[in-house]
Amino acid sequence: MMTDKIAEIRSRIESAARSIASSDDLERFRLEFLSRKGLIAALYDDLRTVAAEQKPAAGQAINQVKRLAEGTVESLTARFSQEKRSAGPSIDRTLPGRMVRRGTRHPITQTIEQMKAIFVSMGFGIEYGPEIEDDYHNFEALNFAPNHPARDMQDTFFIADDVVLRTHTTPVQVRLLERRTPPIRVIMPGRVYRNEAISARSNYFFHQVDGVYVDRHVTFAELKGTLITFARSFYGSGIKYRFRPSYFPFTEPSLEMDITCFLCSGKGCRICKHTGWLEVLGAGMVHPNVLRKSGHDPEQVSGFAFGMGVDRISLLRYGVDDIRTFFENDVRFLNQF
Amino acid sequence: MRISLNWLRRYLDVTDTPERIAEVLTSVGLEVESMERLGEALRGFVVGHVLETSKHPNADRLSVCSVRLRPDGEPVQIVCGAPNVAAGQKVPVGLPGAVVPSSLHDPSGKPFTLAVAKIRGVESNGMICSESELGIGQDKSGIMVLPEATTVGMPLAEFFGRDDVVMELGVTPNRPDCLSHLGVARDLSAYYRIPVRRPEVAGTDGGGNTAASLTSVTVKNPAACPRYTARVIQDVTVKESPEWLKRLLTAAGLRPINNIVDVTNFVMFEYGQPLHAFDMDRLSGRRIVVRSAEAGESFTTLDGRTHAMTGNELMICDAERSVALAGVMGGLNSEITPETVTVLLESAYFDPVTVRRTAKRLGISTDASYRFERGVDPNAVDEASRRAAQLIAELSGGSVVPGVVDEYPSPIAPKEITLRLARVNAMLGTELTMETVSGILTSLGHRVTHVDAGTVICASPTFRPDIEQEIDLIEEVARMYGYNNIADSTSGSVVFTEPSAAERRLSDVTGWLQANGFNESVTNSLMDAKTATLFSSSAVSVRNPLSAELETLRPALLPSLLQAVAYNHNRGARTVKFFETGSVFERVSGDAPYTFVPGYVERFRLGMVLSGFSGDLSWHEKQREFDIYDVKGTVLSLLRSIGIDNIHLIYYDASNSLNEQSIGIEIQGTYVGLMGRCSEELTGRFKIEKPVYFAEFDLGPVLSGTGPKKFKGFSKYPSVTRDVAFVVGEEVAAGDVERTIAEAGGAIVSGVTPFDLFTGKNLGTGKKSLAFSVQVTPSDRTLTEAEIDAVVAAIVSRVSSRHGAVLRQI
Repeated sequence: MMTDKIAEIRSRIESAARSIASSDDLERFRLEFLSRKGLIAALYDDLRTVAAEQKPAAGQAINQVKRLAEGTVESLTARFSQEKRSAGPSIDRTLPGRMVRRGTRHPITQTIEQMKAIFVSMGFGIEYGPEIEDDYHNFEALNFAPNHPARDMQDTFFIADDVVLRTHTTPVQVRLLERRTPPIRVIMPGRVYRNEAISARSNYFFHQVDGVYVDRHVTFAELKGTLITFARSFYGSGIKYRFRPSYFPFTEPSLEMDITCFLCSGKGCRICKHTGWLEVLGAGMVHPNVLRKSGHDPEQVSGFAFGMGVDRISLLRYGVDDIRTFFENDVRFLNQF
Repeated sequence: MRISLNWLRRYLDVTDTPERIAEVLTSVGLEVESMERLGEALRGFVVGHVLETSKHPNADRLSVCSVRLRPDGEPVQIVCGAPNVAAGQKVPVGLPGAVVPSSLHDPSGKPFTLAVAKIRGVESNGMICSESELGIGQDKSGIMVLPEATTVGMPLAEFFGRDDVVMELGVTPNRPDCLSHLGVARDLSAYYRIPVRRPEVAGTDGGGNTAASLTSVTVKNPAACPRYTARVIQDVTVKESPEWLKRLLTAAGLRPINNIVDVTNFVMFEYGQPLHAFDMDRLSGRRIVVRSAEAGESFTTLDGRTHAMTGNELMICDAERSVALAGVMGGLNSEITPETVTVLLESAYFDPVTVRRTAKRLGISTDASYRFERGVDPNAVDEASRRAAQLIAELSGGSVVPGVVDEYPSPIAPKEITLRLARVNAMLGTELTMETVSGILTSLGHRVTHVDAGTVICASPTFRPDIEQEIDLIEEVARMYGYNNIADSTSGSVVFTEPSAAERRLSDVTGWLQANGFNESVTNSLMDAKTATLFSSSAVSVRNPLSAELETLRPALLPSLLQAVAYNHNRGARTVKFFETGSVFERVSGDAPYTFVPGYVERFRLGMVLSGFSGDLSWHEKQREFDIYDVKGTVLSLLRSIGIDNIHLIYYDASNSLNEQSIGIEIQGTYVGLMGRCSEELTGRFKIEKPVYFAEFDLGPVLSGTGPKKFKGFSKYPSVTRDVAFVVGEEVAAGDVERTIAEAGGAIVSGVTPFDLFTGKNLGTGKKSLAFSVQVTPSDRTLTEAEIDAVVAAIVSRVSSRHGAVLRQI
C-alpha cells in the first residue's frame, strides 16, 4: 500500500521534473513536493500508520524520493541562476579559490639539483659515498702526507683512530677508481664535515659537489673547457672568469676558478673582499700518486677532478646573509624557494 | 703573508701599477687577497708653506693665512684657529675634498670632508692640521709644524713614508719559498723576465774562524735539526731601529722592538729564514746544545708563558738549561735586553714535522714556526745569517766576529727530476716548445740539463721542497705560461654514462612530496647522545665534538625533524609538513648491508613529519588537525606513485616510549621503516605541544626498483559498483573486513573502498557501521543483475560469518 504510494509520488516527481522550464516552474515544483505541506511531507505523515517491521524500509524509500526531489531542485536552481547570467548572489567570485598548496625543495638541494642537471647534460654520472669514511680514503689515498694539518683533531671529526667524518666528497672518487676501469666521468654530491665553530659564515657540516673524469688523454685544456661550460651554464653566459694556480694534495697542476662577483658586477664589495672576484671552485689534474694508489697507471690514463662548495654559493645566489638560516628550516624561509 | 711594494722594489725594478702587479701575482699562484694603500687616509693632504698671517676681522682667535701649496703656485687663503700658526712655517694642509679623520671642533669625532667655506665671513680654502686631526699622533695643542727643508706641495703620505701599498698574499702550503719578499720577487722576476737584485752580503769568514773559538754548537738530534749555524756580533748597542726599517716592518705587519730583534725579523721577511738572536753573555758556557726536551721540563717563552714539555719538543739549550723552543719561540732567559752587548745569532733548518707538532701542541703559532713547518731552504741558512749579522753590526755599532759555527753534517742536495716535453703537452693539452719549457724552469731557479730534444733533467732548488716529481715541474710550466693562456677545449671523447634508475626514482619521490605540499628540510646530522640513545643503542659518537649537543651522529632522521617542528611551532606556524632525505648511522658488527667502512652502517632514508592543521584556513572547508590517516595516505600514495605495490603494513598493538598508532612498512618482504604518531613523551622532549605524525623508512629498497612500469591489460566490459554496509563490533578492523570482501568476491571484484564509518546509539553500544563500495569488473562479458547479486550475497555471507557482521540496509 505504502510502497505503491511512494512509487506513485516518485513517478510524479520524475514527470514534473521533466516539464520544468523556468525558475517559476521550479518554485511550483518545490512547493508541490518539498514544502512543509507538500506531498513528501504527507508521505512522512503516512509513515505513522505503517506496521513497525516495515517502517525502516518504507522510511528509507521515502528518503530516496525526497533526495530525488531535492536533487532536481538543486541542479535546476544552479542552471537557472547561471542562465540569469552568473552575477547571481550564490557565486561570489571574490572569494578565494580552492588553493593547491605546493611544497618546496630546500635551497641547498635546489643548488645541487641544478649542478647535477648541468653535469648530467655534459655526460657525467652521479655517485654517492659514505659520510663515515676511513682515513685511507679520506686522506692517504688522496696524497695527504701523514703529518698534513688536515689530519689533525682540530680540523676533522674523528670516530675512531682511523675513521673520520669525511672532510670532502673526494673520497668517493677513490672508491670509484678502486672498483671501476676508465673511462670514469661522474659527479659526487654530498654532505661533508669540518671541526669548525658555527657562525654566520661557517658551519660544521656543509655540502659539496665533486667531479672526476679519468680516461686516456684527458688534459688540463679539457678541464678548463668543462669548468667554463659549467660556469657559463650555472652563473650565466655573460660571466667573466679567471683561473689561478692553487694547491690541493690530490691534484696537480691545481687551480681555483674565480668569476666576477655577481653582487657588485666586479666593482668590488664586502662579499668579494673588494677584489671583484668570487672563488667558486677548486680543481686540477688528478695527481699521479692518486691514480697509482687506486691501481691505475698514470702513464696510461690521466684525469681531472674538481669540487665546489654548495652552501656558500647558495648563500650568494639566494642573498641569504647567515648560513644558519638554511638549517633552521623556518617554513617562512622555505616557502620562499 | 703581507708584502710591501716598497720593500719588494728593493730587489726588483718592476714598474707596473700595484693593480697590475697584483694580477700577475695572482696569475702565478700567489693570490692577492687584499690590497691596502697605506697612504690612503692622507690622500688630499700636502705640505704647505705659510707666507703670512693676519688677524681675522671678525674673530679674535682666528688667523687668516696665505699659504703656498705648490712651489710655483699662487698662495691661497686659509683660516686657521691654532695659536701656534706663524709665517714661514711648513705645515700639513688638507685640501678641499680631503677627509679629516676627526676634528677638534666636532665633539662627535666623526670624519668630515673639507670644502671651500666661509668662516665668520672669510673664505677658507683648506685646513691646516694638527697631528691628532691627521690621525697620526696625539698632539692637539696646535697645528703640526714640519721641518723647514720640507718640499712644498709634497703629498703628506710621501712625507711620512706611508706611500706604500701592502698586499695580503694567500700563499698555499706548498710554497714556503714565497713567505718572503725575495721569494715573491723571484716569481715576479720569472714572469717579467727581469733580474732580482739580491742584497749585497759580504762573507764574514775573511779573518779566519774566530767564531769557533768563542762558541760551539752540539746537535744531539740531527734528524730534527739537520743544520744549525751560530754567528757572533760583538759590542752592539741595543736601541731603536732607524726609520726605514721600522717603516718596512710596520708595513709587513710587524711591531718594531729594537735594532737587533728588528733585523732578525727583517731578514726573515726578506729571505724567509727565521733567525733568533740570543744575548750571548746570558748563555751559560757561551755555547749551544740542540737536544730533545726532557719530559716534564718547564720552559718560559719570551711572551712570558710557561709550558710543560712532553719530551718530544726540540730545545735549544746552553751548557745548562733550555734557552729556546726550537723554531717556535725564544726563551725569556736569554732574550735581547737594552744591556745586551754580545749577540749569538742562530740561523737553522729544523725538521718541519717536529716544529709543527711542537707549535700545535703548545698552541703557539709564530712567523718562525709558520715558515719552519712548511720548510725553509736548508742551503740559504748561512746567507741569511751573514745578511743579518752584517745589518746588526751596521745598525748597532757592533762588529761581526769572523767565521761561523755551522753544524750541517748531511747537506741536502737539489733533487734531480726528468721532464719529458711530450708529457708536458699531453697533460696540459698544449703545444709548448722545449725552449719555452726550459726557459720557464730556468727562470724559476731550476738547473736544466738537456738530455735529448724531448727530455731534460731538472735539478730543483732546495727552496722548493714541494717539487718531487715530473708533475710538479709541469705545474711550474703551467702556472708561468699562464693558466689563462692555455686554450680550453671541450672536444674530448664523449663518455656514455648510464643514467641511474635510483637517481630518477629519488627525484620522483622528492618531486611527488614537493607537489603534495611538503617542504623539504635540511637538518643537522649531529645531535646529543642522550636523545640518540632513545632511537638506537648503537649510535655512533664523535670523539672530538664541538659540544655535547653535537656529539652523536643521528641514528634516525626523526629527532632533527622534530627540532624543526618545534622551531616552527614556536614561531606560530599553522602547518608543518616536512620531508628530508639523508643518511642515518649506526655501529654494526660483522657484514651488514649499507656498510662502507667496517663496523658502521649508513642508511639513506626518507623521513617526514606532519603537525598542526592539515591545510590553510579556508571558507569552504572546516579546518582539522593532521591524523594518522594523513601520514598513512601519504606514504602509500607516494610508494604507489613510483610503482611500488608489493607493500605490506604491520599494525603494531603496543605503543612504546617513542611512538603510538605505529604501522610498520615492508616492501617486497623487507622491513624498511615505520610510521605513526610521536608519543607525548617524545614530543615533550622537544617542547612540542601539538601531535606530530611521522614516517621514516630506508630508501634503498624503494630506489632499487626495476626499470619502467609495465602495462597491465584491463577489461573491455563496464564495471558495476554495489554498496554494502555492515554493523560490526567496534574491535573489528576495517582492513580485515576489506580483505574478506575481496577474498569472498574473488577475481571479479576489482576494488573495495570503505566509504562510511559511524557509531551511534541506534547501532547499539560497542558497534559501528562500516560501508564499502565494491567494484565488480567482469573480464569477458557484461554481467547480469543476478550474477552481481550472487557476488554480493557471497560477500555478505562471508563477512557475516567471519566478523559477526550484520548487513545494514542502505
